[in-house]
Amino acid sequence: MKAGGGFCPLCPGNENTTPPEVLSYSSNDGHQANRPGWDLRVVPNKYPALVIEGSLNKEGDGLYDRMNGIGAHEVIIETPDHHETFTSLPPERMIKVFLAYRDRLLDLAQDPRFRYVMVFKNFGAAAGASLEHSHSQLIALPILPRMISSEIEGSLSYYKYKERCIFCDIIRQEINQDQRVVAQNDLFVAIVPYAPRSPFEMWILPKRHASSYLAMDNDHFKALTTIFSECMRRLNTCIPNVPYNFVLHGAPLRSQPLDHYHWHFEIMPKLTMIAGFEWGSGFYINPIAPEEAAQFLKEAAI
Amino acid sequence: MKKILLVDDEDSIHLLYREELEEEGYEVHSALSGEEALAQLKIIAPDLVILDINMPGINGIDALRQIKEINPALPVILSSAYQEFKQDLATWASDEYIVKSSNLDELKAAVKKHLA
Repeated sequence: MKAGGGFCPLCPGNENTTPPEVLSYSSNDGHQANRPGWDLRVVPNKYPALVIEGSLNKEGDGLYDRMNGIGAHEVIIETPDHHETFTSLPPERMIKVFLAYRDRLLDLAQDPRFRYVMVFKNFGAAAGASLEHSHSQLIALPILPRMISSEIEGSLSYYKYKERCIFCDIIRQEINQDQRVVAQNDLFVAIVPYAPRSPFEMWILPKRHASSYLAMDNDHFKALTTIFSECMRRLNTCIPNVPYNFVLHGAPLRSQPLDHYHWHFEIMPKLTMIAGFEWGSGFYINPIAPEEAAQFLKEAAI
Repeated sequence: MKKILLVDDEDSIHLLYREELEEEGYEVHSALSGEEALAQLKIIAPDLVILDINMPGINGIDALRQIKEINPALPVILSSAYQEFKQDLATWASDEYIVKSSNLDELKAAVKKHLA
């Protein structure tokens, strides 16, 4: 299928240019795998950074540790329409993206080599998206990413001190103060965090405590879709076609429910550059107060 | 005799690759840029394209998308000194991605496979 910028390997009709799909959803009963007619499909990365075959072979190298680059890298093709953005997906199709994340997490959790799956989306060249066709990705890793272990350790430390989940406390305070809430429904709240790393950064959190994304039921998937769609449309109204990334943070694979950790999405518009100071210090310079950003987003006409 | 269009902005690559590929029995044509490759496509009608990525003007990935737009069935092997371009999903339009090396065995095997 012809695409705006030339040939697009993710478009329907070009299924032979991708590896065979590991998952697809279709409204058509007679849909055949790896053929057009899908609403969403998930394929392994054709040129993956990590390989799924082999064993980890963990070993020490002096004071360093090393292991083979084992993992899974998959691409979730969110729509057959090359020009359709994630933000513009109608709810009945956006929910399929969230369900696809769940289905792949469930499948990858069966592989004992993997400890964590990072689900992420890049939109816009500045945010790292190399192709216009709307897609997100996931990478299954044999180790816990440092940022996740840091969140888990920090939240455990808070829990030991307060015997409460820090994310639950954040949700309670933000709803009570209503200074940084962008949107909420019965089951989810969207906030600009107290110390955002980028202007218009948003977090979407389930109101009911849960450490794993996989704990959601159908009502939660519907409510997540509603609030996520609203937040993305508000962001797009404030800053049309802004490049962004979003990530899903949740408990490690196969972990027991954690009282101290709370899964959530983080949405990061790409409006500022991470340069030497930010990279070297871990500090971020944000010119827009979170309360102002939340106000802009809440007042955006959608 | 099968025709290969070799696209790279470096003369040294053409010198090395042409000799080795001609020894394998292929007819090798050269293009020094993505623009030149697109112009030569219709004239030469190659059976396979070996395409560098990092080139001035149209880079290899943009050239790849345009080549596949013109002829989706034409095998294109991306040949780059860098692994990092593999993160660009647009490279999926290619039939193979070979990281450049002084040992051309992997490239020759890929050529043989896609011309079989």
